[in-house]
Amino acid sequence: MVNIMNKIAIIFLALLVTVSPAFSFCGFYVAKAEAQLFNEQSSVIIARHDGQTVITMSNDFKGPLDEFAMVVPVPEVLTKDRIRIADQKIFDKLDAYSGPRIVEYNDPNPCQPMYALEEMSTMRFKSARNEAPAADMVEDEKDYGVQIVESYTVGEYDILILSANESNGLERWLIDNDYKIPVGAQEVLEPYIKNDMKFFVVKVNLKKAKQNGYNTLRPIQMTFQTDKFMLPIRLGMANAKGNQDLIVYSLTKKGMTEATNYKTTKIPTNKEIPEFVEARFGEFYVDLFDKTWKQDKDAVYVEYGWDLSSNNFVKCDPCVTNPPVYADLREAGIFWVDDNTQRQFRTTADYNGDVYLTRLHVRYNRSTFPQDLKFQETPNKESFQGRYVMNHPAQGDLTCDAGKNYLKDVVKRRTNELENLADLTGWNTQGEYAAYVGKYEKMIDKNYKKDNDSGTDENGFIKALPKKGAMLLIGTIANGGGSNGPGAGMFIMFYVLCLTAFSWYWIRQGKLSVV
Amino acid sequence: MSVLTQPTTYTIPNPITWIKKDARHFQIVYLTAFLLFGIFKLGWEADIFKYVAIFTTGLAIQSIGIHFTTKNYTGLKSALITCLGLCLLLNATSIWIFILATVIAIGSKFLIRFKGKHLFNPANIGLVAAILITGQAWVSPGQWGSSVIFIYFLGAAALIVLLKVGRIDTSLAFLGTFSGLVFIKTVLYQGWPLDHFVHYLSNGTLLLFTFFMITDPVTTPRHSTARIIWAAVIGIITFILASEFHVNSAAPIWALIAITPFTIILNKIFKAKQFKW
Repeated sequence: MVNIMNKIAIIFLALLVTVSPAFSFCGFYVAKAEAQLFNEQSSVIIARHDGQTVITMSNDFKGPLDEFAMVVPVPEVLTKDRIRIADQKIFDKLDAYSGPRIVEYNDPNPCQPMYALEEMSTMRFKSARNEAPAADMVEDEKDYGVQIVESYTVGEYDILILSANESNGLERWLIDNDYKIPVGAQEVLEPYIKNDMKFFVVKVNLKKAKQNGYNTLRPIQMTFQTDKFMLPIRLGMANAKGNQDLIVYSLTKKGMTEATNYKTTKIPTNKEIPEFVEARFGEFYVDLFDKTWKQDKDAVYVEYGWDLSSNNFVKCDPCVTNPPVYADLREAGIFWVDDNTQRQFRTTADYNGDVYLTRLHVRYNRSTFPQDLKFQETPNKESFQGRYVMNHPAQGDLTCDAGKNYLKDVVKRRTNELENLADLTGWNTQGEYAAYVGKYEKMIDKNYKKDNDSGTDENGFIKALPKKGAMLLIGTIANGGGSNGPGAGMFIMFYVLCLTAFSWYWIRQGKLSVV
Repeated sequence: MSVLTQPTTYTIPNPITWIKKDARHFQIVYLTAFLLFGIFKLGWEADIFKYVAIFTTGLAIQSIGIHFTTKNYTGLKSALITCLGLCLLLNATSIWIFILATVIAIGSKFLIRFKGKHLFNPANIGLVAAILITGQAWVSPGQWGSSVIFIYFLGAAALIVLLKVGRIDTSLAFLGTFSGLVFIKTVLYQGWPLDHFVHYLSNGTLLLFTFFMITDPVTTPRHSTARIIWAAVIGIITFILASEFHVNSAAPIWALIAITPFTIILNKIFKAKQFKW
């Protein structure tokens, strides 16, 4: 019994420790990881309200333009006025705005209190896009059970809307018309045909592309009305060599978008990481995502979620770039916000209306994602971001008494940061990074060698702390298996108490007696 | 020491015997296990206030209800199951919505009664009411992921529970009808590969609904034939909602609430004794 009481006491204690305030949204943004870091990746913006859906697709196609072709199943026949070319900048802007970020804090010097100046630096990762020569599209008259419902040119794209009766015919038609359809595409096309979907078929009109001087493919935006809040990803798997990364920017009115047929989960966030990560932040995030994904390969990851409604004053915190303005939202396909750019007294935004941005990151392949992505819009308006915290130790003279304690804290913190780094990314933090902590250990040795005795000084408590096994275990319980917040531990405690109370009650009532 | 001098009824109950005693004990243990699985293994954001609100409200309302009616406090076990169901399925933006859902869920047991028994499945009406009234609540059908081991665990666990109560017929009738229709449409007609179909069935919310919600002996029809018809109709409605109306979220929950009033008619046509715990 004493043992149980002890355990309960320990859990209580652990809760007190872990409930200490997490970093609130603040600090200075210094670096960001952009989506272009990932290979084989594409981005999609979905703006959706009341079934009216605007999808903008950006492609990372790197080959010659004449080899580019895209087949997208769409729920209805799309006329020319439903298609437009969007500006690639909108993807860059949303990407920059919502990407994972590092924030930094400067420790004040405990020996000479003063304001520290924040240093800000940014990093950008550019994606190379290739230029390409030209060729023309071949038309064919044969009957494949395929009907060209619409045919038009928008910007540099030749677009066909096909309606097919059977997948075999459609596959042959596409191959005969020089669309590089992968072997086995028929199997993937079939369900869409049976589901009465039309096919939006795109090729590059090389003359137009040349005329306009476009070397890269601009995003295509299509508008349609549908009950289905989904993205067809299965077609893309037919020619996929392996995993593909897809970034979905979902713009809705009510709140966060989540997948209904896959688990939606958040990427690890608000972790303290070592200073040197700043220089390798892109790499850091790629490895972090990779490690997270390996633990849960059939999940959809939330990288960002924010209420951009005009009445929400804080549109990001910290802001990596300026939050989207009216023109950006329009460009992204949002049709339900009102223009407020002309108003004299702008308060929070140059538009009127509710918008919630969810950035989802999906790494999919044929085996882990057997179904297309289905979504729902939830009323959840919480703010979420991938945020990693960097602390700069104080500079200058640290030889005062407070400085000694401070240096010990720094050593402890830096040890933690290295553990976090290893935990998040799987990087080996033993070798080359050992100096990260060692530097401050040495400083303690150097500064306080004289009075560095048996550990009975005022820091005895800190010295006695590394009972790591126990702390870790408690931390894990209280953190819900190392996941999110202190809730789980408290829940279990509450639940055990409830069960105990009821068991006791039932026993008193004679209802739980042993036979 | 004093324990030894107590009568035998006051000794600590043997857990196995305790579990075998009442099917609800099974349900409590298993649903708790699922909740813990969700929090620890699936990394749900465990919100302490949500759970506290649901359990406190649920048990309080049930206690009040019992106090003014039967005075038989074993009904608290049912309330615990309802609360666990709400914890597992309901998401909301505010703590008050959880409280509202629980009040409606448990309250409906005492307020909406037909011929001496409550009509609606408590967790079901709680969920639906919270979603419709506030517009700030939702169900996340994808929150379970689709780990095969988990499916096995859930299925096996559920079977044990059901075989104890004798309500496996509703589960099988529902799942059989729904999955049969999905299979015909997606695999046979549309030509999706089999894993597309399996993915449909590896949905934690669907299985939770199948094995823990529509098996409630009090709110299902009494006669076994009626139950099978009833469950099959729920399966058909669920299929129509999901595949024709593209209700991505929690179609079975809407189907169940829609079919509930017909339980009365089915009980009139097929006469059988009312279930008692």
